[in-house]
Amino acid sequence: MNTSDVSQTGQTRIATTTKTVLREAGIGIALIVLILVFSMTTQHFLTASNVTNILTQVTINLILSIGMTFVILIGGIDLSVGSVLAFCAVVAGTVMTLPGLDPSTAVILATLSAVAGGIFFGLLNGFISAYWAIPSFIVTLGTLNIARGAALQVTNASTIYSFPASFNAFGSQTLYGIPLLFLIALVLVGIGWFVLTKTVFGRVLYGIGNNEEAARLAGHNVFFYKIAAFTICGGAVGIGAIVYMARLNIASPIIGIGFELNAIAAVIIGGTSLSGGRGSIIGTLLGACIIGVLANGLILLGLSDFMRQMITGFVIIIAVVLDKYRERLTKV
Amino acid sequence: MKFAKFIAAGILASTILMPVSGYAADKPVVGLVMKSLANEFFKNMLEGAKADEAKRGDYTLKAVGMQSETDVETQINAIESFITEKVDAIVVAPSDSRALVPPIKRAIDAGITVINFDVALDEKAKEEAGVKLAFVGPDNRGGAKLAGDALAKKLGEGAKVVIIEGNPGADNAAQRKLGFMDSVEAGKLDLLDSRTAHWETEEANTLFSNMLTAHPDIQGVLAANDSMALGVVKAIDAAGKTGKIEVVGFDNIPAVQPLLKEKKLLATVDQFGQLMAADAIDKALKVVKGGAPLEGWVKTDIKLVTSDDVK
Amino acid sequence: MNESPSTDMSIKPLLELSGVAKRFGGVVALNGVSFNLRAGEVHALVGENGAGKSTLIKILCGIIRRDAGTIVLGGTPYDPQTPGDAKAAGIQVVHQEFNLLPYLSVAENICFEDLPRNRFGIVDRRSLHERARKALDAIGLADVDVRRPVASLGVAHRQLVEIARALMGESRILILDEPTATLTARETKRLFAIIAALKAKDVAIAFVSHHLNEVFAICDRVTVLRNGQSVMTSDILATNPDQLVGHMVGRQLAAAMAATREVDKSGRTALSLHNLRHPASPNESGISFDLHYGEMLGIAGLVGSGRTELLRSIFAADLPKSGLLERDGKKVFYRNPKNAIRDGIGFVTEDRKEEGLILNMPIAANVTLANLKAVSRYGLLKKHGEIALTQQLGSDIKLKYGHPQDNASTLSGGNQQKVVLAKWLANNPRILLLDEPTRGVDVGAKAEIYALLRGLADKGLALLVVSSELPELITLCDRILVMSNHRIAGELPRKDFSEERILHFAYKDERSHEHQ
Repeated sequence: MNTSDVSQTGQTRIATTTKTVLREAGIGIALIVLILVFSMTTQHFLTASNVTNILTQVTINLILSIGMTFVILIGGIDLSVGSVLAFCAVVAGTVMTLPGLDPSTAVILATLSAVAGGIFFGLLNGFISAYWAIPSFIVTLGTLNIARGAALQVTNASTIYSFPASFNAFGSQTLYGIPLLFLIALVLVGIGWFVLTKTVFGRVLYGIGNNEEAARLAGHNVFFYKIAAFTICGGAVGIGAIVYMARLNIASPIIGIGFELNAIAAVIIGGTSLSGGRGSIIGTLLGACIIGVLANGLILLGLSDFMRQMITGFVIIIAVVLDKYRERLTKV
Repeated sequence: MKFAKFIAAGILASTILMPVSGYAADKPVVGLVMKSLANEFFKNMLEGAKADEAKRGDYTLKAVGMQSETDVETQINAIESFITEKVDAIVVAPSDSRALVPPIKRAIDAGITVINFDVALDEKAKEEAGVKLAFVGPDNRGGAKLAGDALAKKLGEGAKVVIIEGNPGADNAAQRKLGFMDSVEAGKLDLLDSRTAHWETEEANTLFSNMLTAHPDIQGVLAANDSMALGVVKAIDAAGKTGKIEVVGFDNIPAVQPLLKEKKLLATVDQFGQLMAADAIDKALKVVKGGAPLEGWVKTDIKLVTSDDVK
Repeated sequence: MNESPSTDMSIKPLLELSGVAKRFGGVVALNGVSFNLRAGEVHALVGENGAGKSTLIKILCGIIRRDAGTIVLGGTPYDPQTPGDAKAAGIQVVHQEFNLLPYLSVAENICFEDLPRNRFGIVDRRSLHERARKALDAIGLADVDVRRPVASLGVAHRQLVEIARALMGESRILILDEPTATLTARETKRLFAIIAALKAKDVAIAFVSHHLNEVFAICDRVTVLRNGQSVMTSDILATNPDQLVGHMVGRQLAAAMAATREVDKSGRTALSLHNLRHPASPNESGISFDLHYGEMLGIAGLVGSGRTELLRSIFAADLPKSGLLERDGKKVFYRNPKNAIRDGIGFVTEDRKEEGLILNMPIAANVTLANLKAVSRYGLLKKHGEIALTQQLGSDIKLKYGHPQDNASTLSGGNQQKVVLAKWLANNPRILLLDEPTRGVDVGAKAEIYALLRGLADKGLALLVVSSELPELITLCDRILVMSNHRIAGELPRKDFSEERILHFAYKDERSHEHQ
């Protein structure tokens, strides 16, 4: 730091604020540009029904990404979310189709069991990686297999279907064109944002992500916070599983393959640093929307499947490269 | 996923190595190489084979499955272990129509009767390796055409349809697409778009919602399997077009039975997967016991299933 | 050491800089630096943090390029594009930050730029180890196995390995950037001997240091940088420390540096250690002493003598293996730092960037990190309370900053250290453990931190200060304990303070080891 013996004036303060705003807004601008491009190049992009579609399609990834944001913020990663989603879904599906339950009881019990299943795996991930200081990459690679195997075991590899009609209908209901399922995700975004920015808990999570030892020496129980972050992620996965079932009316042990990668991509595109300590839920919301808009828009454009896959890959890389520039821009 | 392979290899080793000494000298041993047992279709097929083994009681079955659809290595390792064990016959559902030709040739050279079922090995690869091998399996293309024709008949000429494809590169996906294309041509349908949803429900749901935005006038959907058909039907419901768009699928899985009943799914195709492995094993045993070697393509039964077939 | 070479101006300089300038965006880092280096001289470059020393070094070794000015090396213009160019021109640098590869062996690190190979292109282990052995022996580091990974070495040894590596190449000019920051007195002596030997071989040495006593001990000439400009160059014999400091800070603040605590106000016992033993300590009987309210107790000792470990075991940053603590006369057992903090203890750690600060978070978040309860209710943060607390503490400790919401990384080293202090002061501690409280801090800020610590002791806090800078301990403390090999080798009351006495105790155990 020898080159910057900074004595900040009011002017540089304003400049820094502007940069911070620019940085957060950068993802939003990218999203707006994408929306503009697709509106101009395709016929149906901005129609009400297509907006409803995009929001529906974003929902599950958004819910998983909110949980993933907590884990990545403390410098971890959770590769098990896709498998745990399948596990939660088949557990909830089994509960929901138990004979002799009236529909609303069945749905409530199923929701609770899905969230409980997610929390169980979150606790497991968090405890193992925090207690033995094992990189969460490895631990969750293990639980990825455990959850998938458990889901197959529970169902004997069969698909569960025929959920209560009301539950089924709920999955496709909209309010002024906004899917109810997306509103659930938005509520979770709100909660996540509040917890991360307004509470002591969130502050300490950022602290741990930036500098674990400094946080520990400042008297914070790093072990507890690490487990908490993974548990929150697991709980989000449980909710994601219920949303999946409401949307598609099935629960199968082979669903959710590769969901973890989409969730990680949304979080990273949203500006959260993979090494932890930096990022926001709002960024994650925008990141998930960018992925959803891109997938939708590219199909409307009529591009081939293989081109779509390539372009999605490019966008992830471009987002991360742009993030590096944003980082430089905000360095004083 | 190295880790997955590692586990798979462990399971494989334990299933193969353990009971070697247990083979009764007089009973022929059949090695069954399956695809992913996480897939309901293959799991049922394996159960069918096991039931057959128990019923007949005159042979010993050794079955090996994979962790995922594309785990070719596990299959190759399984065949090589069967060669070492000197089994009498190997019955294999290849996960890759080319990569498995060399190990199968080694098995044939070792004097083992090999039957290829479910997915046919690549003709050119067989020719290059100098392998002559019969294929026992369903006609995916013919089956797809059955479903496609049912749709064409329902909608009439000029109807606007889309195809939801299986995994690009998978042989059965390619065959089913060809079958759908045959129907499109024969029924003079108007094909608007054809895209993959990788056999998956959620992806098919997303994909079809977006297709419907791009082409609001779609009248019919040809889905290459029932899992994807489930997602398509759900998308039609969500778009409020129930009853206005006809869907056909493939595989006749349990989860589509209610849809057939409600006529949300026009038709699907049953290829009697549960019997397929057992059938192939029977044919292999006949050869082992001195019957004539099989040649060419031995087609197994397929059947169109509609609401009339659901009680 | 005082046989300085002739200062005759007719000697042709080896390296000549004039008017060198560099800016980073809007920040002027260098604004006209001119001086020269002669073969066979040790030339000190001194200045406060931010004066431009590091930028100057980076330009000389080809990491960044200058905007203006000329550099002439051995009569030809010198304009390195890459660090490789600088090395080829015979300029070697030992950087302040380590550039070692932690998981490779010492030998591989030392020879990394030119690994010996056999004719198959495979690394030749034997000659690799021989070469590295020779390089380490040359700097007197005979006790380090060249096959050990660098990660297993302590900081001091790493610094010496770095020096050995720089000396591997043929060097005409050697630049040492704060080489003694992590060295103990003994290793510093060793380094000075190496420098003398290089000097005799006509190598020109640029020596960057905060320690003026070192500058006066080994340098022939000195150039002072201030705000990116060279403000004076002088023969070392023609100047004195006060004059240099005056030029460095542009004002005389000798008074603040020199003011010593006159009265010992030591009061009640705040903390008693009874045979407290850190898990890594070989000393089974542990460490025992009392710390009083209002007292500043210094801990001196060589690097590796167990000073940091002592503080960490008190604070439960590492759980002690045995022994016990008494706080205000009552037995206590801290299971983690949280317990220690609740009991009124604060710990200013040695390494700001790794343990003390969260550089990428706002100053306010850093200040409140150890006492979030004070700025929250029901787990919800009160932004205003947080900013108010930061502003209040900021003015108490004369923190120079832009806004409480600016990242801590925007501050200079001295102000960063003040933020770490503020973090603990926010907790109203009764006991403050300080590990190298002024490391990497410039002269001006150092004086302010000294005044601050004195003020705290006057208010009745108990301060336990670990420092490798003996003048610092001698200036600040009421009492000094000298550690050697994880035990207390001696205790000195204020009236007996002297560098020799401290060093006598510090080497006590080392010597007895050598006799064994």
